[in-house]
Amino acid sequence: MILALTLAVLASDTPAAPGQVGGSGLAIRSAKILTCAREGAGVVDRGVLLVRDGKIEAIERARDLEIPADYELVDVGDKWLMPGIIDLHCHAGAIESLFINDLNDVVYLTNPGLRAWTGTKPGNPRLLTGLQAGVTTVLVIPGSGSSIGGWGVLLKTGHDRYEEMLLRNPGSMKIAQWGNPESWGPGVAKTFETYAIRDAFTRGLAYARRWHAFEEGSGEEPEFDPQWEIFRHLLEKDTQASVHTQVYQVVLKTITQIKGEFGVDVYIDHGSIGAWRAGGIAQEMGVPAILGPRNADTPARGFINWGQLDTEGFKGIAAGYQEMGLELIGFNTDSPVIPQQELPVQATIAARLGFDDSEMQAVRGLTIVPAIAAGIDDRVGSLEVGKDADVLVISGHPADPRSWVQRVWQDGEVVYDSETERRRW
Amino acid sequence: MLRITHLFLAVLFGAAPALWAAPVSPVAFDDDEEEEEAEEDEDEDEKDHWIAVVGGDVHTGTGAVLRGATVVAKNGVIEEIGWDPWFPEEAEIVDAAGYFVYPGLIAMEAAPGIVQGGGAVEEEDTHGPHGLDTQEIANHLARFATEPQPTQAAIEDSYDPFGQNLILALATGITTTVNGDAAIKLKRREIDDIVMSEGSLQSFTWSRRNPAGKRALREKFERASEYTRELREFEQTKSKDDEEKGPSDKGVDKQVLAVLGGQTRAKFTANDRTDLLSLARFAQEFDFRPVIEGCQEGWTVADELGRAGATAILTPRDTKRAREELQLETGSTIENAAILYRHGVQIAVVPGSPDVNLGGIMGRDLLALPIEVGFAVRGGLPEEAGLASVTTVPARLLGISHRVGTLEEGKDCDLIVTDGDWMHYETFVQYTVVAGKLAYDKQEEVFFSHIRPRPVVEVEETEDETEPAETPDEETEEVDDDDDDDEGENDDEAAGDDEEGADEGEDEESEDEG
Repeated sequence: MILALTLAVLASDTPAAPGQVGGSGLAIRSAKILTCAREGAGVVDRGVLLVRDGKIEAIERARDLEIPADYELVDVGDKWLMPGIIDLHCHAGAIESLFINDLNDVVYLTNPGLRAWTGTKPGNPRLLTGLQAGVTTVLVIPGSGSSIGGWGVLLKTGHDRYEEMLLRNPGSMKIAQWGNPESWGPGVAKTFETYAIRDAFTRGLAYARRWHAFEEGSGEEPEFDPQWEIFRHLLEKDTQASVHTQVYQVVLKTITQIKGEFGVDVYIDHGSIGAWRAGGIAQEMGVPAILGPRNADTPARGFINWGQLDTEGFKGIAAGYQEMGLELIGFNTDSPVIPQQELPVQATIAARLGFDDSEMQAVRGLTIVPAIAAGIDDRVGSLEVGKDADVLVISGHPADPRSWVQRVWQDGEVVYDSETERRRW
Repeated sequence: MLRITHLFLAVLFGAAPALWAAPVSPVAFDDDEEEEEAEEDEDEDEKDHWIAVVGGDVHTGTGAVLRGATVVAKNGVIEEIGWDPWFPEEAEIVDAAGYFVYPGLIAMEAAPGIVQGGGAVEEEDTHGPHGLDTQEIANHLARFATEPQPTQAAIEDSYDPFGQNLILALATGITTTVNGDAAIKLKRREIDDIVMSEGSLQSFTWSRRNPAGKRALREKFERASEYTRELREFEQTKSKDDEEKGPSDKGVDKQVLAVLGGQTRAKFTANDRTDLLSLARFAQEFDFRPVIEGCQEGWTVADELGRAGATAILTPRDTKRAREELQLETGSTIENAAILYRHGVQIAVVPGSPDVNLGGIMGRDLLALPIEVGFAVRGGLPEEAGLASVTTVPARLLGISHRVGTLEEGKDCDLIVTDGDWMHYETFVQYTVVAGKLAYDKQEEVFFSHIRPRPVVEVEETEDETEPAETPDEETEEVDDDDDDDEGENDDEAAGDDEEGADEGEDEESEDEG
C-alpha cells in the first residue's frame, strides 16, 4: 500500500515513466517470454517486448528487433516475462477480513440487480498480496448464498483508484446453481433453485429483448428496471454468466440450460465433484471451465460421496476435463477461500495430478484462457501487440512454487517491484 | 507415563552434562535394541531381511550425491552405499535406475489420523507428570530394562499399520512423523518398534499477552539454574565417602531442569516480533536453544534468534497481516525462512494442515509437504536447506538424528525413490522404503498409479550397444535442452538476486526508521 501511495504521489508530481501513458517507450529484454498467445508455441526465446502508452507495441526475438534509441531498456536477464495472471473467482476484493464481508447479501433467492463493485475496496491488502504473486486482474463476484448473486466486476489489482482499476462492469453475472443457496430462507433444493434461475432468465431476457427492439427502432421505450439491466449485457454478449456449479448433473444443467436454452455466454466455476465428465459437452457447446479451489476428486470411500463417484485414486479435475476434450481450462482461487496469491498453486496441483502442460496449458490456464472466458482477451491474458502491458518478471514456470515474481507492470506502470517493496508476500 | 528414553537419546546430540550422568542402561539406545533383535533372529534361525535399492542417484542428505549407486540394507539398517556392493541373492530388489534416491522425509506435525487410521481424534496428553529427580530416573531405568515403557505400548496399541492416510503419507515420501510427543517410524503392515523417541521437546508458553506467565517461567528458570550451579559445586567439592546430602531441589521444575541440562529442548509457539525478541533474549540469558513454532515475524529479529541458536518450525505460506500502527517491519513474508536461515536459525518446515485433506482442496495439507518447502525456496532458502528442513533438522528436534535424516551406513534404511527432483511439483514418489522394507510402490496402489504411470522396463541385453546411433535424435531435442538450461540458470539467478533483494530490503528498513 505504501508503494501504491508513493507511486500515486510520484505519478501526480513527476512525468509519466517510460511505458506509461504519456511517457516514452520501454523495451524489456528477457531470456524467455511466455506470450501465452492462444495460437502457436506461445514462447519467444531471447526476446524483447516494446511498451508504449501502456500498450504492447512489439514482441520479437532480440536479434530481429532494433530497439528505438529513445526507448528505455530494462534487461531482466535470465528471468522470464509472462502476462499478468487472471482470477475469475475472487471475493477478496471486497472482503478484507472475516468481519468485513460486503458481498454476500442473501436478500432474495435471485438478486440480479446487486452490484459487487459497490463493495470493492481499492488497496485491499488481500489483492495487493495477490499482486505480489502476479495476479493482475480479478473478477470480484458476489458470494454463492443465493441463486443469482448479482453483478461481478473485473478489476486490475495494481492501481489504487477504482476508476483506474475498472476493466469492465458488469464483469459477469454471478449464478450459484447448487451447493450453497440451499441455506437461503426456508431452505431450497435443486428443483426450486433451477426454477428460480429459469424464472429470472425468462423475465430478464424478455426485458433485454424489449430494449433491444427499442434500440433497433421497432418498439416502445421500456420502463427502466435496475433489477433486469444486467440481462441487456448478457443478451448483447458483452458480459457472461459465471456459474458456481459442481457435480456432473448440475454442470450439465449449466451447459444445457444457460448456454443451450438461454443462449447466454457462460463459464463453469469450480466444476468439481465428478463434473469433469461433462468436459466433452462443454467443448461442443463452447463453455470454458475455470476450476478450483477443489482441484481433485479424492478416494471416495473416505469422504461424503456427493458426486456418487467411484473414484479409487486421486483424480485431478483439470486432467479430467482435458481427457474429455475440453480445450479452455483455467483456474481460480475463490479467494479468500484460498489466498489470492496462491492462484498459481491451482495450476501446480493440476499439473501434478496429470493435467498435460506440455504445450503450456497450465500457464495458459492462468492467463489467456480466463481472458477468453471473460471476453477480455482483447485487453489482457497474453503478451501480444495492442494489448495492455500487464507484464510479470518471474524466475521460472509459474506453476513451480519456487518461482517468484520480481516485478509487475500494469498498463506499462511498475506497480510491484520486489527490490523496492518492503517485503514479498 | 515417563519419558526416559528420550533423555538419553538427547544426550547423543545435545551437550551431555554431568548432571544426568546416572547409570545408563544399554536398553535405552534403540540401536542396541535392534542389534539384540538381530541376535534373537539368528537364535530363532530366522533369515536376515536384505534390501538393495539399485542404481539410483543417491542424494544422501550429507551433501554427497552418488550417481547410479546402490543402497544395501540388512534388517532395516544400511549396510553399504556404493557401486556394485555385495548383497545376497534373496535380497528384496528395488530398481532405482534413472531415479533419484533421498532420505525419507520427516513430518514434524501430523494429525492423529495419519498413524491411527481413519476416525482418530486428538486425545489429551496421556503422559503423566514429570516430577523426577536423577536418582529416580536411574531407578526407573533399571525397571525399564525388563519391561516396556507404558506410553510406547499405548502408541503401538493405537497404531494402524494399514491406514489409508498412512499410505498417503508414504506416497508423499514421509517415513517418520509424530504422534503426541513421540517420533514414529511409519512402518506398514507391522507395529514393532515404531516409537523412535518420546518427549524430545518440552512445551512452554511465552506471550506478551500473559506477563504473569512470563514472570513465573523466569522464576522457574532462575530456580533451576541456581540448583544446577549448587549441584555442580557440590559434586566438585564432595569427597568420596561423604554422606552429606546434596543441595535441596525444593521448588525446582524438573522440565526446566531438563531444558537447562540439554536433555530436552524447550518449544514455544510465538509469531509476534515482540515475543520472539524477548524469547531470544530469555534463551540467551539462560543459555538454552529455543524451538519456536510459527515464528512468522522471525525475519524481523532474525539476528537475535540466530544468536540464541533457535530452531524455527514454520509454514512458509503462513500469512500474518502487518500491524499498520507500528512504524516497524511486522507481518509475514515469504522470505522468512531464508532470512532466518542466513542468520543461523535452523529451519524445519511443516505444512499448513498436518492432516490428509480428502475434501478435494489439495495443495496445503500433509501431501503438499514438498510444495510447502518449495515456498521456502521461493523466498530464497537454499535447496539443500530445504531438504534439511524435512530431514535432518526435524531428526535433531526429535532426538533421532543418529538413526534417520540422512542416508549413511549404520543408519536406518528409510528412503524414497522419486522420478525427479523431490521438490518438483510433478515428481512422484515411486517407492518408499521404511526400516529396510518396501512400504509403498506407486504402481501397486490405487491412489496415483494412473497419473504418469511408470513405464514398464523391458530388459534387452543388446540395448546398450545400440545407444550411440541416437545422435540425430539429440539434435532434434536441442530446443528442449535449451529450455532446461534456462531453467537451471534461472534458479541460480533467483538465489543470487534474492540475497541482493534482502540486503536492499534492510537498507529500506533503516530509511523507514530514519
